[in-house]
Amino acid sequence: MLLRDAFKTATRSLAHRKMRSILTMLGIVIGIASVIIIMSLGASAQQYIVGQIQSMAPNMINVQPGAPVTGGAPSSVMGITITTLTKRDVEALQREPSITNVAPNVTGNSRIVFENKSKSGIWIATTANIFQMMNLKFSSGYAFASADENTYKHVVVLGSKIADDLFGNIEPVGKYVRFNDMSFRVIGVLEAKGSGMFSMDEYAILPLSVGQKQIRGIDYYQELNIQIDPAYDSEFVKTRIISILRTSHQITDPTKDDFMVTSMDEALSVLGNVMSIFTIFLSAIAAISLIVGGIGIMNIMLVSVTERTREIGLRKAVGATNGDILQQFLIESVLLTFIGGVIGILTGAAVVGIIYVVLTTFYSFGWVFAFSLSSVLLGLAVSGFAGLAFGIYPALQAARKNPIEALRYE
Amino acid sequence: MGPSGSGKSTLLQILSFLDRPTGGSYRFHGKSIDEMTDQELAHVRNKDMGFVFQSFNLLSRISVYSNVEIPLLYSTILPAERRTLIEEAVRSVGLEEKLHTEAGKLSGGQKQRVAIARALVTKPDIIFADEPTGNLDSHSGLQIMEILASLNDKGHTVILVTHETQTAEFANRIIKMKDGMIESDKIITGRRVHDNLK
Repeated sequence: MLLRDAFKTATRSLAHRKMRSILTMLGIVIGIASVIIIMSLGASAQQYIVGQIQSMAPNMINVQPGAPVTGGAPSSVMGITITTLTKRDVEALQREPSITNVAPNVTGNSRIVFENKSKSGIWIATTANIFQMMNLKFSSGYAFASADENTYKHVVVLGSKIADDLFGNIEPVGKYVRFNDMSFRVIGVLEAKGSGMFSMDEYAILPLSVGQKQIRGIDYYQELNIQIDPAYDSEFVKTRIISILRTSHQITDPTKDDFMVTSMDEALSVLGNVMSIFTIFLSAIAAISLIVGGIGIMNIMLVSVTERTREIGLRKAVGATNGDILQQFLIESVLLTFIGGVIGILTGAAVVGIIYVVLTTFYSFGWVFAFSLSSVLLGLAVSGFAGLAFGIYPALQAARKNPIEALRYE
Repeated sequence: MGPSGSGKSTLLQILSFLDRPTGGSYRFHGKSIDEMTDQELAHVRNKDMGFVFQSFNLLSRISVYSNVEIPLLYSTILPAERRTLIEEAVRSVGLEEKLHTEAGKLSGGQKQRVAIARALVTKPDIIFADEPTGNLDSHSGLQIMEILASLNDKGHTVILVTHETQTAEFANRIIKMKDGMIESDKIITGRRVHDNLK
């Protein structure tokens, strides 16, 4: 039997059972659409986060105190106080030509008070160059200067969320807020950045000396943010930083490092891996609906084989071989799942498109429309394969029918 | 011919390659059926044999044209040549005006004529007919027998199974069966010819 005739016969057979074909397809449509939506949203989220990191913290390298860890969180994050990062390290790093900026910081949690309102927030005491390093924009006021650090000036720049919660419609610049029993004059308010890894919306930024010496009373830093010269490769600069800090800390055995250096590229790659695993995991869950859809196809194809027993008998009587019958029923199931797959892809694309339009138009979210050709091809391949996998058993049942018994079937 | 259970349909199924004998031997064009694969049997059924069944076995939701086309789908005849063959076969049973009618909408007699056209379309040497008039009224039954007799006159061998004496009167040779054995085998010189054929 010619493939063209087999397709024509299969199409006609499916068309004669329209409602049943549509309902049978539905499982595959939902399965493929779910996988497509999850894969696309996963890719969009990944691109969105990576984009945020790249736009807000370009060419950054982060140094945390404590030995590098291969699994779990660094010691500083676990609440262990490590006092190894000092002013001497910062001065040594500032002499390195591949480094353009070093911003050490000390952070803490406090209840920030304005008149009778208060809000729990994070303060971060750092150097004035942080505003330029992290591309922070102001909705009102201005940043503090290096001179403010030297003179222990009690000034603060508020994140937009803290400013909104504490001040509402009042202009915060020029007003005073209190935390840790000290009064701070608000000199600037940052533009809202929305939720994101580098959002400063819920932070209060103050001069390093005030936070480090007056609030915490310490002479070490909790973190160093380093901006590298874009002309240098981040891996090279990372090696330089490690070398400088080892010299500064008099470490000769690399296994005894008391600091951990992470470049933004590394962080992005780790984040990329995590996101990919998460997307694959979710897609696998969505794929369960594909299996359910496939079982539906198998069930309906078995019913169809039983219903069409006499037709199979007749076709065999007039010359169809087992292979012809197998081919006909396989084409029917593959057509069902393939058409289901195409509808599923279109549905998935429509849903992803709607989400994109809603997020960008109504929520002004910098969402990315990520609908890759690979996910379309994967959807088509999976749906075609499902047709073969779940259609083979019914098709074999049909092909193996004895023509005499099939012709006698009532 | 013979009563129910006499083995006439089983013999027809063996002769038409739909079944294999459990004993004895059957040679077709000099070749034993035991030496032929299922695929070869299917090929011979398609090329050299035509089938007419008591219950027509038409696909009711497709047209007369598509029903008659079915054997051609499994043949080596090219798609471009099919239309002529189908139209010729349908014309020979007098249903050319029903070519694109859904088979399910035809009367019993018309359905059996479509079945004959389907059997004829590959121009087989032998037509096997198993109780072809069994589901028809006597008038339609006579019409069907008239067509089969004319096909026989045109050179097709028609092997027909029936238990009706009236139908058997159209045959040149009548083999009577009982309990799986041949009871008699007679050559008929003056076979019945329907009034319309006189």
